[in-house]
Amino acid sequence: MSDTTVSAVREERVTFRSRLAEIFIYGKSMVPALGVLFIILVVLFSVATPNFLAYTNFKAIISNIPVIAIMSVGMTFVLLIGGLDISVGSVLGFTAVVVVMFHLWGLNAPLLVLCSAAIGAFFGTFNGLIITKVGINPVITTLGTMALARGMASWFSLDLEILKEGRVYDQNFLNIARYYITPQKQIIPITLIYIIVLYVLISVILKYTKYGRNVYAVGSNEYAARLAGINTTRIKFLSYVISGIMASLAGVILVAQLSLGRDDAGMGSELEVITAVVLGGVSLAGGKGDLLGVIISVLILGVIRNGMVHLQETIGISYYWREVVKGAILILAISIDAARLMAIKKRQIVRQ
Amino acid sequence: MSDQLEAHGFIKEEKKLHLSSTVILFLFLVVMVAAFAVLSRDFYSIYNISTMLTNIAFSGIVAGTLTVVMVMGGLDISIGGNIALTSCLVAYLYNLKNPPNTGLIIIIALMLGAAIGGFNGLVITRINLNPIITTLGTMAITRGMGYVLTKSRSILIMEDVVGFIGRGSIAFIPFPLILFILIFAILSIVMDRSKYGRKIYCIGANQEAAKLSGINVRRVKFIAYLISGIAASLSGLILTGQSAVGMPQHATGSELDVITAVLLGGTSLAGGKGNILGTLAGVLILGVLYNGFTMIGFRYVHIRVFQGAILILVVALYEVREKKAY
Repeated sequence: MSDTTVSAVREERVTFRSRLAEIFIYGKSMVPALGVLFIILVVLFSVATPNFLAYTNFKAIISNIPVIAIMSVGMTFVLLIGGLDISVGSVLGFTAVVVVMFHLWGLNAPLLVLCSAAIGAFFGTFNGLIITKVGINPVITTLGTMALARGMASWFSLDLEILKEGRVYDQNFLNIARYYITPQKQIIPITLIYIIVLYVLISVILKYTKYGRNVYAVGSNEYAARLAGINTTRIKFLSYVISGIMASLAGVILVAQLSLGRDDAGMGSELEVITAVVLGGVSLAGGKGDLLGVIISVLILGVIRNGMVHLQETIGISYYWREVVKGAILILAISIDAARLMAIKKRQIVRQ
Repeated sequence: MSDQLEAHGFIKEEKKLHLSSTVILFLFLVVMVAAFAVLSRDFYSIYNISTMLTNIAFSGIVAGTLTVVMVMGGLDISIGGNIALTSCLVAYLYNLKNPPNTGLIIIIALMLGAAIGGFNGLVITRINLNPIITTLGTMAITRGMGYVLTKSRSILIMEDVVGFIGRGSIAFIPFPLILFILIFAILSIVMDRSKYGRKIYCIGANQEAAKLSGINVRRVKFIAYLISGIAASLSGLILTGQSAVGMPQHATGSELDVITAVLLGGTSLAGGKGNILGTLAGVLILGVLYNGFTMIGFRYVHIRVFQGAILILVVALYEVREKKAY
């Protein structure tokens, strides 16, 4: 009698453990592990600091992430097809300058957004054409576009003496990023709605439409995809265009948040975006990863940035450790992913 | 027999192509220097040329060692962070209550670079991680440590501690320039004439084949990242000597400028191709471009546009030449 219960308990334990292993080690993506990391971070910060869990702080975190979150969507497309886009930070900066310039010329808010999207599409088209038609390595091409766009941004802001001010006062335009659902009570920031709509929409496109499946196909094996009749050049080209548009829309959000457009906006953000996307489980080799992981890792980075400020206030740990923590988490995460892939391979060999 | 001849001929042809690419770069450089010398009288002054060469030496040293890493098929983005952290550490050590003497400071700084490079090498070779992501992480860590060390302030160095490395000169030749020439001479010999250099090219061309032919791939790679780290901290010492200040914002974005110079020199991102002389040409072209256009009266921002355009143009030319060659 007692023997059977013991064995039953043991069996249950084994199944529980194996179920955990099934999710965290042999699972298809890093999403569960990232979710756990996110929860651990939130619990840690809310135990260590009194103000972290407040609703105003939640709004502060949300208002900090949209720029990186929107750029990450574009970068995900580019990484999925096995490319890389380093020019996003500069495209953001150029858009910021042009938005202010056009604002001074008297364009209204919807036109400004349209023009910005057109600028992003222009740079994306430029990248896409050179990479797919001329056949130059994407890293080199976008490195060049990065210098081009940043240089042009500085150039334009030099030539317009008024831009020393560089402010935007149009309330309609500022509301793009500052509006709240129920304006009196300020409950839900509009940027949160943007992020949710964008991520859900793009996730659905990537998962359920023909175009989305083609993106994965091109990323995992371009040659096979071409043989299967997919227009690989067009798929790759479109990814760069989307990345450019997302970068310029992030620029619009940034200008609306700060009401300030400067040529050094988004300096170095390309590396931050790549960090977020790679941490989210999107492979640099292409064809692997989804937006759920990306948004969790964007949140993780946002929570670290915000939580470190609270830690400095309560415990006195320097706020500047955040960069170190970010780098360490990135290396740790991909190490774990590499170990996971090795374990999966080992199990496949054993089963065979 | 005919097979052998053919093989021989093929190798010869490839060598000719490779040489002429570098020659074209140097010709371009000569044309640029001549044009600037005509357009601006100040460009030709000894003072300007020594300043320009000193600036070139700062980024050139890193570009040289990065060429080794890139020929091997790797990449090191942590250079800028490494330079910043070195400058912060030197300034921090100098401002201690009992500062160690200059020699010790220099040794500690170089050991820091070795530690960062060694960490990169270990992680990349042992856990088999993508070098771009790994060094991206190291970049964040090193720059972050710089911020922590200085609390995001600039630390001044009032006395002439490492000034000689940045500003000193031996027989009217700036000391950084001597370092630069020395390092390029050594790297050039190592890459072209030594066993280690052949191994680097072999790994870059086909890592699996290199492993099967008995090369200790892990050790060769580890050493390359180690050298890259040490060179970055050396550049950090030069920068600290020149600016006499240690701050975490030093050399922001310099990693991309250095990569641009290496790519201009004809090194491929995929590995297995490239040489030190080409990188020398790339570094000189970028240095002359910035200095010359500034002398004529262009602003920094206009030159950045040129830099981007030239990078895309030159690499497109490489691509066209390669397609013609096959």
